[in-house]
Amino acid sequence: QEFQFGPCRVEGVVLQKLWQAFWAVKDIVQAQDNITSVQLLRKEVLQNVPETESCHLIHALLRFYVNTVFKSYRDKAVEFGILKSFSILANNFFVIVSKLQASQEKMFSTRKTARRRFLLFHRAFKQLDREAAVTKAFGEMDILLSWMEKFYQL
Amino acid sequence: DGAAVLPAPQNLSVRSVNMKHVLTWSPVIVPEEIIHYSVEYQGEYESLYMSHIWIPSSWCSPTQRPECDITEDITATVSYSLRVRATLGSLTSAWSTLKHRFNQNSTILTPPRMEITMDGFHLLIKLEDLGPHFEFFVSYWRKEPGAKEHVKVVRPGVLPVYLEMVEPGAAYCVKARTFVKAIGRHSAFSQPECVKVQGEALPL
Repeated sequence: QEFQFGPCRVEGVVLQKLWQAFWAVKDIVQAQDNITSVQLLRKEVLQNVPETESCHLIHALLRFYVNTVFKSYRDKAVEFGILKSFSILANNFFVIVSKLQASQEKMFSTRKTARRRFLLFHRAFKQLDREAAVTKAFGEMDILLSWMEKFYQL
Repeated sequence: DGAAVLPAPQNLSVRSVNMKHVLTWSPVIVPEEIIHYSVEYQGEYESLYMSHIWIPSSWCSPTQRPECDITEDITATVSYSLRVRATLGSLTSAWSTLKHRFNQNSTILTPPRMEITMDGFHLLIKLEDLGPHFEFFVSYWRKEPGAKEHVKVVRPGVLPVYLEMVEPGAAYCVKARTFVKAIGRHSAFSQPECVKVQGEALPL
């Protein structure tokens, strides 16, 4: 049970638990997203990512989720009564970001291209109304988890 | 104003063995009354970014017993804050918070119990099923001077384990330890257990 994002390894996170946490709230969360014409985590962000870039990209994305998306979504999590799932996802993303922090700092060569992918996501996020963007990003966690699953080894 | 005040639970502590975590506290005693308790928790993320928000425990909001199995609430290898309060009718005590935050990486890992049997000419090991977190490192050797020690990694849910073909008349020893990837730690090895295979030793 570990992630291997190119050279970066992360142990101690059980992906199945993250899936279970998201599935428990998926319908409630995605029902709030009325903008169906936009996808933040679109193909250009996550498709055909070379292994060597995967560490930077996932670190940037998860750090954004921890510092922005979860922080902004917390009142809704209370409102919708989904704190348990919220806590599982937030704390495990927090663990992954902390563990990736050291290893991704050592890799400079692939940062620029990974950064470009993250900025595609970030620009799309910024173009939406803040609350709508947070709701959409939270609802797109299944896209993120599916991509992370490719790097997961039982 | 003389209003009755319910004392808060005291002596909170967590007993954690093999990734099973139980929060305990001293019971609040009110003669001839039944006290209920409520347990809540906060992961590290909540403590950092939403410290006013606490999450009711899965099994103990409320409970009558002065303990709570919080295993299902601890879902990441981060530190958790835990608190308990007592309730009697409309009376509610103050919250008592665990003095030191709890992290599952402090759990006590015990050597696994095991049972060695023969299945035909195979050494068969039954290991204690400790749940999805646990892998086992099984070490086994033929009981003779200079014998090579073999190691087999057993994933969760792959029990019992067939080790190897054995020879009649020979003796074999086995020991095992657990490994929990979620916290990157392993237990001590169990005491070696040895068995002798029936029958005559094969001629050289």
